[in-house]
Amino acid sequence: MAKADTETRQFPYLPDSDVVAVQRGPEPGGIKGAYRVFGETLRGLKTTMARMIEGPVTIQYPEEKTAVYPRFRGRHKLHRFEDTGLEKCVGCSLCAAACPADCIRVVAAENDPANRVSAGERYAAVYEINLSRCIFCGYCEVACPFDAITMGHDYEMADYNRGDLIFTKEMLLAEPIERTPLRVEGE
Amino acid sequence: MSGGRSAPAHGADVIARTSAEVVGTSPVERTGADEAFEIEQELMTINLGPHHPATHGVLRLLVALEGEVVRDLKPIIGYVHTGIEKNCEEKSYWKAIPFVERMDYLSYFFNAQAFCGCVEKLLELDIPPRAKYLRVIHLELNRLHSHLVWLGTSALDLGAMSMFFYCFRDRDRILDIFEMSTGQRMHTRYFQVGGVIQDIPLGFERKLRAFLKEFPSRVDQYEALLTNNEIFLHRTKDIGIVPRERLLELGVTGPLLRAAGEPWDLRKVSPYLAYGDFDFKIPIGTVGDGWDRFIVRIQEMRESVKIIEQALDGLPEGPWIADDRKVVLPPRHELGTSMESLIHHFKLVTEGFRVPPGEVYYPIEAPRGELGCFIVADGSAKPARVHFREPSFVNLQALRDMCVGDYVADLIMNLAMLDPVLGGIDR
Ligand code: SF4
Ligand code: SF4
Repeated sequence: MAKADTETRQFPYLPDSDVVAVQRGPEPGGIKGAYRVFGETLRGLKTTMARMIEGPVTIQYPEEKTAVYPRFRGRHKLHRFEDTGLEKCVGCSLCAAACPADCIRVVAAENDPANRVSAGERYAAVYEINLSRCIFCGYCEVACPFDAITMGHDYEMADYNRGDLIFTKEMLLAEPIERTPLRVEGE
Repeated sequence: MSGGRSAPAHGADVIARTSAEVVGTSPVERTGADEAFEIEQELMTINLGPHHPATHGVLRLLVALEGEVVRDLKPIIGYVHTGIEKNCEEKSYWKAIPFVERMDYLSYFFNAQAFCGCVEKLLELDIPPRAKYLRVIHLELNRLHSHLVWLGTSALDLGAMSMFFYCFRDRDRILDIFEMSTGQRMHTRYFQVGGVIQDIPLGFERKLRAFLKEFPSRVDQYEALLTNNEIFLHRTKDIGIVPRERLLELGVTGPLLRAAGEPWDLRKVSPYLAYGDFDFKIPIGTVGDGWDRFIVRIQEMRESVKIIEQALDGLPEGPWIADDRKVVLPPRHELGTSMESLIHHFKLVTEGFRVPPGEVYYPIEAPRGELGCFIVADGSAKPARVHFREPSFVNLQALRDMCVGDYVADLIMNLAMLDPVLGGIDR
């Protein structure tokens, strides 16, 4: 051990005060080893048993849902204006340009003034997100200048077919069937 | 075939020879053979992995065994190759950040820091002090998280079942903290070129402090469960020793090198971010066996807690991302009011920022050793080449030196204490 200490000092890049040598701990075997087999095992059991009073940290998942934080990035949502009911998305394709996984498809079309779909000049005739490719980075949300797409809080998206994981505009506009519980800020 | 008894122990080509010759040898043929020939015949080549719980991923080890003793070993990698480095060449710098985070999936903040730090160096961009401190907090939490996964899975390999549950319980608390501040539990894309994307939310400090208060006692418990455990001592002490000089030759870094007594830690040697401001120590081992590798990482967790506490105490006020409109997205509230901001936003999102031509290598100290990012920029908005020096990849080379001559059970221990992450090795 002493040898290693002197060797350490050869290195000028770290002064001794920055380095701590770790303890070697007991050597196995011998009388002390025989003690450890029994004594320390019992002490270890004490440590594990003491954890029992802390109660379980797991939850009964499908019955009880994990609450998420407000910033949690789950399944995407498209939004409408609350007063007019028009879609916020104007089909500018910025989200598709920002997506690192290339999983958004937007086809824009001109709004018919008599029957407007969105508030802007154009609207998204097709808006699809392929959730089997999405990496939930949230860049689409960052990119959208009109807050038309945001990351929601739903995380239960498993399905039997990959095709069912392509979410269309209607699915993204609809309210989720079941609300994910949300933690309050600071909890 | 005249190598004698010691030849198989360090013959690099044992595997090549045995796999061809062992097959089909019957005991009858062996009886008349000379001794050296006989030993070679008794070597058995087996595959450990690629799907084996003790390889911590999809790692295949081609092992030549003489009875229970490892005579040669060859790691075969590439089962989770993702081509991330190549993919980055097709993406603008901004879009490559979520990609590189997914290489070593246990140290995503480190991957992001290596990449962002490298780009910032190419751009000669200074990041605000608050961003530096926030990055340090998240990096060190990530180190705790990575070491906890290592401790849990390694102890599980050595037969300590409850450690796995305890470690994952605490790891989950760290992931909760990440979810609170970044929105995602893993692969958070929180670090952006120029700083961090959002400030920490209300209540973050309280939650983090509660965790920091409790965590050291948890580490004490883990240590108490293992350090005096006779089986654990027998399994780890004086096994897998590789001399310091050999480790340096192989380029091994991180806790493995420090366990052998070399005080090499980039946080101290060339402080990046705000590491120069903090008071912490570098734990080093003395012998360099499995035990030292274990205890060095345990001590590192304690030091990380100290760093986080100091960073939280000294967290400066101010912006959390640099105010450089050429690189950083403008704040959201400006998009509705300023046409100029909107144009910047469009340009940054669609094309990305341009990086002046040059080459930069930027190393940081990841949980497994020196993680370096090397970027060649050609002046466009996409990197010409991205390369990562992955510590797991380099460290894996030391496995043969650790294992040859020991029992196959020690191979499991050595691999556990090596802590490779295959996502990082194959990238
Ligand atoms: S979260 Fe990321 S990967 Fe998913 S759709 Fe949005 S930008 Fe694409
Ligand atoms: S969601 Fe936003 S960014 Fe994407 S097309 Fe619609 S308006 Fe543009």
